[in-house]
Amino acid sequence: MKRIFYHVASLLIASGSVALFAQEKQPMIGQPAPVFELNSTDGKIYSLNQMKGDFVVIHFAATWCPFCNAEAPFLEELYQQYGNKNVRVIIVDVKEDKTLVEKSMERFRFSFPVLLDTDGTVSAQYAPEGVQKDLARHEVPIASNLIIDKDGKIRFYSLLNTESFDARLTKLRQKLDEILKDRN
Amino acid sequence: MGNWFFILLLHFQPYYPAVTDSIVTITAPEIAVYAGANAKINVFFTVRRGYHIQSNKVNDEFIIPTTLEIDTQEIITAGKPSFPSAKKFKLAGTADYLFVYDGSIKVTIPIKAKEKTKKGKYPLNGKLRYQACDSRTCFSPKIIDFIIFVTIR
Repeated sequence: MKRIFYHVASLLIASGSVALFAQEKQPMIGQPAPVFELNSTDGKIYSLNQMKGDFVVIHFAATWCPFCNAEAPFLEELYQQYGNKNVRVIIVDVKEDKTLVEKSMERFRFSFPVLLDTDGTVSAQYAPEGVQKDLARHEVPIASNLIIDKDGKIRFYSLLNTESFDARLTKLRQKLDEILKDRN
Repeated sequence: MGNWFFILLLHFQPYYPAVTDSIVTITAPEIAVYAGANAKINVFFTVRRGYHIQSNKVNDEFIIPTTLEIDTQEIITAGKPSFPSAKKFKLAGTADYLFVYDGSIKVTIPIKAKEKTKKGKYPLNGKLRYQACDSRTCFSPKIIDFIIFVTIR
């Protein structure tokens, strides 16, 4: 009887782990991050290649995206906490004009650049293959967060999940701490 | 109960066929009104299961509210559309809420037919603008065009 109990318990734990793994599985991990060069709202040009050697947190956003706006203050907080640890933070705004983006971003007072992906090409490159196939590619990454490591590889990619929305970027911070610790 | 009522009601009214994109379906039953008289246009829209759209009142100026417009074509004057109450959608991990619609929604627009409008059936162009999210994605704002037929008696 005890043996049966332990077998059933092991099976339940294993299936739960598989389910959890499936739920948590992130796309494009270990792949080189698609390179890009974009203008920012402050008039400068930013290139992902130029950021090699630093860790880069990227958030894809749009002014109309409620989850992006809810997360915004926590991105600034993240930058304040990690900015002196070779961690850059950037927002890539998808398919909107500069004036609108500037107006929206005024309220957040970001200390980091907001880049303008005005035709959605960059965002489309970050759309994982096979994910949300019915959606326009540039829409897929909106509200997602990524960590790119010093070698330009994707180490964390969290697509939006409105049912377990992580506005405070808890999981991203955990991963960032882990990566920074490994670096040392 | 409300949803079944709308479906039953639609079966007893002549109407322009439903217009749909992948998320929202709109039905606007034809109405008849005498010149100079008041009436109400009812527009029914259904949000696909698993999705929600922002309500007509938003608490952030950058969030796209749901709006409904009618091109009155100088045959009617139209008042402000009346939307139903919205549901609260909590943004997990924050103290923030969105006000959203899901399921079936009815919007009513008070109209008055202009006095000297000739009798006849007039197609009026309507536009519904909305912004939707499901559990995995927020979709860029969309506009659905539809037609309401107004018969002036």
